[in-house]
Amino acid sequence: MPERVTVDLTLNGANRTFEVAPGRRLLDLLREDAGLTGTKEGCGAGECGACVVLLDGAPVTSCLVLAASADGHEVVTVEGLQRSSSLHPFQEALVAHGGVQCGFCTPGLAVTGAAALARGPSDADERARLLAGNLCRCTGYLKVLEALERTPSEEADHASP
Amino acid sequence: MDVPVQQVIRPTTVAEALAVLAAQPDARPIAGGTDLMVQLRDGRRRVSCLVDLGNLGLAGIRQLDDGVEIGAATKMDSIAADGGVRRHFPALAAAAGTVGAWPIQCRATLGGNLVNASPAADTAPALLVAGAWLTVVSTAGTRRLGVEEFFVGPARSALMPGELLVSVFLPLTRIPLGCRLVERFVKTGPRREQAISVVSLAGRAVVRADGGLEAVRLALGSVAPTPVRARRVEAVVTGRRPDAVARREAVQALGHDIAPIDDVRATASYRRIAAAVLLDRFLQEASRA
Repeated sequence: MPERVTVDLTLNGANRTFEVAPGRRLLDLLREDAGLTGTKEGCGAGECGACVVLLDGAPVTSCLVLAASADGHEVVTVEGLQRSSSLHPFQEALVAHGGVQCGFCTPGLAVTGAAALARGPSDADERARLLAGNLCRCTGYLKVLEALERTPSEEADHASP
Repeated sequence: MDVPVQQVIRPTTVAEALAVLAAQPDARPIAGGTDLMVQLRDGRRRVSCLVDLGNLGLAGIRQLDDGVEIGAATKMDSIAADGGVRRHFPALAAAAGTVGAWPIQCRATLGGNLVNASPAADTAPALLVAGAWLTVVSTAGTRRLGVEEFFVGPARSALMPGELLVSVFLPLTRIPLGCRLVERFVKTGPRREQAISVVSLAGRAVVRADGGLEAVRLALGSVAPTPVRARRVEAVVTGRRPDAVARREAVQALGHDIAPIDDVRATASYRRIAAAVLLDRFLQEASRA
């Protein structure tokens, strides 16, 4: 029986402590230990972006992050993007522009898109580059990119956690 | 699912990390984990103990008088965005910006890309043309080695058990008056982002006012057991204007500098053709300077 490791982190603004196996992935800590099932597992190999969360404000594939490595850091999941009862502006834009179909990739896309907006204004090429790690098999990406382009920028400042 | 490891150690100083690595030869350092976590998950690598390098203060980019020093734990995203790297080593900035996609670049580190020692490592050709030096430490002391000595074979580096790569130094080139530096990184793959390169090429040259190339360095990835310098090509084009004749000779020489194989991503013959195209394009761009 391997030893347990302690992981103290700020999760969606709250201080939380978990005791996990040394090989625990951040993805499993979030879904199974914290009960935050918004974050999805797609490929499990860092290729699809369904499991993207913000680690210290930067988007990362949580399937490749050791939970132990998140100790002392700040994590924001899709559940932490919204403020009170309203969705994040990029999530609103995804809905308005039809950027959501089956929904499996949506949490990862929402998190990466929110991080892209927090980075500031960018051109179409840069927006496509920043979202290229989030695979979507339904929308064909155009509506997603349109949503990112049309998200009101003055509200996007809230994207940074 | 958890990855199959028995222990994670999280040292807070380099000395502490080195002591752990010296005491436990089977311990494996982990930084961004973007390669290692996949290898552990797939059972391609078995490790009982991981040493997390995230708290050693090894991330950061420093502009020095004679070059740029990049900490081994610096993220690709930071390298791609850094003003000094973009100005003096644009091939490295471009290469860092093509490692996986953005969420990978926010996690993957320069040291990890090198230590993983893949022939396809995107930053390797850029560091080869920059003439980078690596600083490696262990409980026995510190040593510096040229990046060319570092790559020994597929997934094999010159790093010895107990050693840790801590930083990468890129020396500045003095550009003579009237000349300018051209540096590029390009890679081919099935998709622009999130693709392991089928062939990658970094080129660096000082272009004289008359269009002649000096101090030419060329390096390629995914065309040999390690990332390689194309020394025969360098010899052919150095001191010349890259006109059609020079470019044809360069492409012929390239055939002797590389030794690609057939694998799941491409055939050897496709790689030879693609490498020649990337080389020709770089030389044409340098001539348009």
